[in-house]
Amino acid sequence: MIQHPGVLALLLASGLVSLLLLAAGWQGLRILRGWNLQSGSEVQLDLERRTYLVSTLVANALVIQILSLFLFIFTAEGLHTQFVGAMCAAGSLAVNAFGYPTLLAKIATCLVAGVWLILHRADTQGHDYPLIRPKYVLLLILVPMVLAETWLQASYLAGLKADVMTSCCGSLFGQGREGLVAELAGLPPRIMQPAFWITLGAFVAAGVLLLRTRRGAGVFSVLSLAFLLVSVTSLVSFFCLYIYELPTHHCPFCLLQREYGFVGYPIYGTLLGGAILGLGVGALAPFRARKSLSEALPRMQARLAWSALVLALIFTLIVGIWMVLSPLKL
Amino acid sequence: MIELSRVVKTYQAGLATPFTAVDDVSLRIPAGKVTVLKGPSGSGKTTLLTLIGCMARPTSGRIHLHGLPAGTLPQLTEGDALEITSLPERFLTAIRRRTFGFIFQQFNLVRGISVLENVMLPTYPTGEDHAWVEARAIERLGELGLLRHLHASVDRLSGGEAQRVAIARALINEPAVIIADEPTAHLDSRLSEDFMELMGQFKAAGKTLLITSHDPIVHGSPLADVVVEMRDGRIVAGS
Repeated sequence: MIQHPGVLALLLASGLVSLLLLAAGWQGLRILRGWNLQSGSEVQLDLERRTYLVSTLVANALVIQILSLFLFIFTAEGLHTQFVGAMCAAGSLAVNAFGYPTLLAKIATCLVAGVWLILHRADTQGHDYPLIRPKYVLLLILVPMVLAETWLQASYLAGLKADVMTSCCGSLFGQGREGLVAELAGLPPRIMQPAFWITLGAFVAAGVLLLRTRRGAGVFSVLSLAFLLVSVTSLVSFFCLYIYELPTHHCPFCLLQREYGFVGYPIYGTLLGGAILGLGVGALAPFRARKSLSEALPRMQARLAWSALVLALIFTLIVGIWMVLSPLKL
Repeated sequence: MIELSRVVKTYQAGLATPFTAVDDVSLRIPAGKVTVLKGPSGSGKTTLLTLIGCMARPTSGRIHLHGLPAGTLPQLTEGDALEITSLPERFLTAIRRRTFGFIFQQFNLVRGISVLENVMLPTYPTGEDHAWVEARAIERLGELGLLRHLHASVDRLSGGEAQRVAIARALINEPAVIIADEPTAHLDSRLSEDFMELMGQFKAAGKTLLITSHDPIVHGSPLADVVVEMRDGRIVAGS
């Protein structure tokens, strides 16, 4: 293992988050089994008091969990100078077999953690704990995800050896190579450009429909996830070519470097943020009929949808500006 | 109406020295009436008041508020009932502010600031217009004969005057229920009778009054519609 502040911070954060979520998961099980708001029993009142503490701890832990995704990428980027052959985070993550699985696991937990935070926020808007059960069911799904991610990350970080030779991003994301990522890189812009603009148009249209009629939350949610996937694919396929001003460089990690103004952070931040908010709109949809949320939930969904659209437009603006200003023309 | 169902409050529950201050109390407190809780020190009167007034949560049991005015909480409509022991803290705060006015045994006025500022204090978190709140506070102090002390520091007030400031403060958010804990403990007989006269005015205005006292001037008053006697945390008469 390489002794690096980022590595130590990641291990400490994931350890703490895992411990907190394990304890919260146990309380969640108790709440799911014993919760009965009609009862005035000592057990029920104890659960009501505990859910306060548990929810607050989980909410804080999950904020750390979401931020740790960016710390992980930042650390991988910072460590690339330690490995022979690595030019950016892409090479660092390829040092051992756990790098890319850790990144995918962190993205998945980031999305689910974001949705949990939105459910929690909605739950606190009602006086009768209206979302207590869905909130803790989702928490129990999240606990094994976070534990798996902690194990993957620990395995990755523990397996970092400075004398390992790794691949550079040009090799990993180059056209003509085998594998899913190389195939994404090989997707021609003439297919991906229309796909991106059509997905963006559909996403915006679904958002406008939702804001005007308060209908179509599920479609909006699905489209927000589709927008994330299509945008990342488009980024690898053609947006990054404009940013690097190179027609053959498809690396999605070099964007995080100073040379490109750290543009990767706002790009991935807006994409992930938009996806979380969009998924949150759909996650809240089944609970709109609950009386204590009948006023708060539509308002909250509208705010989330607005914010998701704004983030999508900021992303489009960032990559659009690079496209227009880049001397490279495809 | 306030309805208590099998309310228990145990301090240090689960520890070596648990103490049950309120033990299996069920009670109905009618709206627009004066209810007096009487009993010796340590009988659980004040603990019961803190539970009803949302200042503490019971160990078990439930407390329902019936006939709430519209706007008490955003989701409630006129006349709805609300179970308050399960409410998350942010909603409890709203109930405390809008439903209950508290008159404490020690008055709990904030020293070093004026009478007017003391009365206006409970309105600050509500974000109401300052000029409107000030006008309302002056009106309340005028009704209680305290206009000449408006800008005086509360440190200079007599016991009776301090209590009337505490009453004005309890009324500033126009609560439906006034809770008074041993309000005459520090007053002589004449001031105690003045206090009960004021309570009579509030009752006539439709307020629900809940008073703890072992003072005969209070629990023996013809104003008291319901007198509940407590001992060792239990109701022994009058429920």
